[in-house]
This record gives sequence, structure tokens and C-alpha cells, in this order.
Amino acid sequence: MSESIMSEKVKNFFKILCQTEWNATVSGIIVALFSILIMAWWRPWGAVGAVRNWGEWILYGVGIFSHKPGAVLFSSGSVIGIGFLAGAFISACLGNDFSFKFPPPWELVKAVIAGILMGVGAAFAGGCNVGGMYNAIGNLAANGFTMWLGLVIGVILGLKYIYWEMEHITWGTSGGKNIDFPYALKIIIGIAAFVAVIWGAYHYADMSDEYKASLSGILLISAGLGYTMQRGRWCMVQAFREPHMTGDCTLAKSVALSILVLAVGCAVLKYAVPQRGSAVAVQSVLMDAVDELDPDEIKDEDLADAVEDVVDASEQAVVAARRVLDPVNYVRGTFGWGGILGGFIFGLGAMFAGGCGTGTLWRVGEGQIKLWLVVPFFGISNAIMVHWFKAIHMEGVGPMHEGSKLGKHIYLPDALGYGGTIALIIFAMVVWYIIVDWNEDSNKLIVEM
Amino acid sequence: MSEYKKAPEGLDVARTLDAKGLSCPMPLLRTKKEIGKINSGEILEVLGTDPGSRNDIPGWCARAGHEYLGEIEDEGFIRFYIKKK
Repeated sequence: MSESIMSEKVKNFFKILCQTEWNATVSGIIVALFSILIMAWWRPWGAVGAVRNWGEWILYGVGIFSHKPGAVLFSSGSVIGIGFLAGAFISACLGNDFSFKFPPPWELVKAVIAGILMGVGAAFAGGCNVGGMYNAIGNLAANGFTMWLGLVIGVILGLKYIYWEMEHITWGTSGGKNIDFPYALKIIIGIAAFVAVIWGAYHYADMSDEYKASLSGILLISAGLGYTMQRGRWCMVQAFREPHMTGDCTLAKSVALSILVLAVGCAVLKYAVPQRGSAVAVQSVLMDAVDELDPDEIKDEDLADAVEDVVDASEQAVVAARRVLDPVNYVRGTFGWGGILGGFIFGLGAMFAGGCGTGTLWRVGEGQIKLWLVVPFFGISNAIMVHWFKAIHMEGVGPMHEGSKLGKHIYLPDALGYGGTIALIIFAMVVWYIIVDWNEDSNKLIVEM
Repeated sequence: MSEYKKAPEGLDVARTLDAKGLSCPMPLLRTKKEIGKINSGEILEVLGTDPGSRNDIPGWCARAGHEYLGEIEDEGFIRFYIKKK
């Protein structure tokens, strides 16, 4: 009796974990949580970093780029992409969502256009919807807001295009095919992929190079992000599109809430950790102790050298501790027309693709062939644009983007303090929430077909 | 998986829309357009492969006032049934 209730409960647990589609609000909170965790690990996540790295390899392979790109398995951006894809793939397999979905030919044409637009847009905005908007606002960067604005406009224009296309384009709009597999096989492959990710993480962790070892956590957290987003079908372009298409604002509300949670978490990390970090404490104690000593009095050369080494090491530790939550992360010199134009082009591209930066990646993980085609074009166009921008100093020089032509580099707490920044972000997200909620009933912002 | 509404077999379908292979947002938009081609009270059948449609279509039906009759899983795709208001 109790055994069958127990097995029922265990079955239900796995059903919720692996098969049922997760609710959007919960998914958004989990995404924010993972985003805070990866930031605490040492860097915020993004999607275009991975795609650009792979695009650079394609361009290097065909001889257009002469400079060898960063290693696919050891560049943090690329590892994030690999982890994300793996997580989405695992979720799609275990949930029976995976199959090779071949679209009609016209959709493939749109995929190429989409990839190019998204790559260009991400270059202007300093990131895709994740790095340029979600994690930008989350990292308290002003440029997140300019991309947000551009995305709204780009998505609306993209929606108008899709309506126009449905009326006027008939070539290549039917004939999609689906190649499916038995669910049992998908479960086996999904579990195998899960084991591979765990093995990969342990493998990284065993490496002696500290940077390479840190990729273990990057891989795992990214896999968690990919899993969550596929499981919850959490897509940011849907948040921008649905209010104007059907009035539905579920995704929009969940993205607003997610950004809010992320920003608060990030503010806590960036404000508190460098101040309380043990490296700083150790260094101050050490410097007090060393001050008492007169280095010239140390007769033993070995001892003098050792003291110097210890002081050096503690200084490096402080630099590393401060760099971990470097406020400069994800603050770009695009608060201005660059962010808006970038968001606009990216939003338009995302409408052609049917997914944003992350939506594209998790749809790749569930076998949507259209999105498989978006990725290389996204990567190649972004690699070319970013390299060109670097060469002409489009976004200025240095981590503070001095002289950027795309806009200003503004870390909001520098301008408003941490309290003011959080207040601003809460206000903006609440306004977004209320507007889409109002629109759901009033339908005033719907773009008619 | 089992919390998606199942449609009864043998429904009298006025029109079928093949949306196989299409991904977000095309299945829903095509459905919106196609429903304009049948009469009130008639049933539209949509064939799709995008898992997102399993929420998008019923959600839109509820919003637009059409009756969502449910889905039937077929070999490698799903059949959705909508009765126009």
C-alpha cells in the first residue's frame, strides 16, 4: 500500500522535474537565481559571446580571419553556450520535446536574415538581449534601458512585417517535416548528456590552471539556465511580442520580475562582497604587521624575499577579489543611440528568427532546424561587426569605453547610488508590469493583423 | 503531457491547416488567419510540431472567444481542434 503511494510520488516528482512545462513566473525567478549565482561565481552570462566565438572559428576556418580565436572549450563565453545548449538538450530529451523539426524553405531564408540582423544589433547594443538588456539592467548598467527601448520598437516593426508577409508571401511557406524518435531513446540520450555535463565539470575542476578550473561552475550553471529556459519555454522576445500580438502578458510580467530580482541580487553582491571579502581583511592585517617591521632590518635574505612574496600575493588576491564583481562587467558604452539602434535591429531579427539570443539557443536544443541556421549567421555577422567596431574604436577604448561613439558608459550606482539605482529599476519594472497588464484587458497596444 | 486537453476522435473538420515544421510565432499566426476562412460553428484542425503551440493555441482561443476542443497526438505531430465562435 505505502509502496505504491511512494512510487506514485517519485514518478510525479520526475514528471514535474522533467516533463511538465514549468510556469513562466517560476522559470523567471529560477533564471534570475542562476544569473546571480554565475555572477557570484565570477562573471555574468550571455548568449552572443558563445555564438560570436563559434562565428570567429568559422571565419578563421575559411581564411577570412587570420587571428586564431579563443579555444572553444576554454573561452568562458563559449563554455556558457555549450552548457546552455546541453541543458536545453537534456530538458528537451527528457520532456519528449526533441525531434528534428525541418521548416518550410521560406523560414530558412528568414533564418539567415534573422542571424545577420541579430549579429549586427548585438554589436551596436554591446550584447544580445541577455548581455545587452537582461544582464545589463541586472548589472545596474544604464545601457540596458536603451536596448530595452530599441527592442520594443524592433519587435513591433517585426510583427508588422510578419503580418505583411502572411498576406503577400506564399513561396516556400509549407512543406515542413518532422523526424521523431522513440521517447525511450530520448530519455537514454538525455541521461547520457547529463552524465557528460557532470563529467565535463569535474574534468575542468581538476585542472591546475585556476581559470580553467573555474569553468566547471560556469558549465554547470549555464546548463541549469538552458534546462530551465527550455523547460519553461521562457523566451524574452515573447515577452516583448505577445502584448502586441494577442495581449497575453505572462512572459512580459515574468521577465520584469526576473530582472528586478536579478538587479537586487547583483546590487547586494557588488556592494557588499568587495567590502567584506576576506582577501581585503587579510591584506589589511598583513600590511599592519609588515609596517611594524623594518625591511632593512631583516638580515636573512630568504626571509626578506618571503615577506615580499607574501605582500605581493595578498595584493593580487585583493585585485582578484575586486575583479570578481567588477562593476564594469556588462556596462557598455552604448547608453545612447547605439543601444537603441542595436535593440531595434536585434528585436527585428529576433522576430524573423522566432527567438531571442537564448530562445534561439534553447530551440536549437529541441531540434528546431530553423534556429540551427540562425546561429552561424548570428555568429559570423557579430564577429565581423565586433572586429570592425574594435578596429575603429566605435565603442571607445578601455573597459570604461572612453570616447564611445555609440553612447555613454554609465554604471548607475555611480550616478544614483545603490539605493537610487534599485529604486529606479523597481520603478521601471513595475511600470512595465502595469502597462502590459492593463493592455491585456484594454487591448489598446495590440497591433492588428 | 497528460494535462493537455484531449480532443474527442472523429470530429467533423471544415478545414485543415498544415503548420508542421513551423516555429513560434508562425503556428499561432497562421491559425489566426485561417480561422477567418471558416464559418461560425465550424471546426478548424491545425497540424503542428512546435511544443509551444500546446499553450499558445488554447490560450488564444480563450482570449478570442473560440472553443478549444483539445489536441490529439499523432505520429510525430499534434492535431489541434478549434471551434469558431
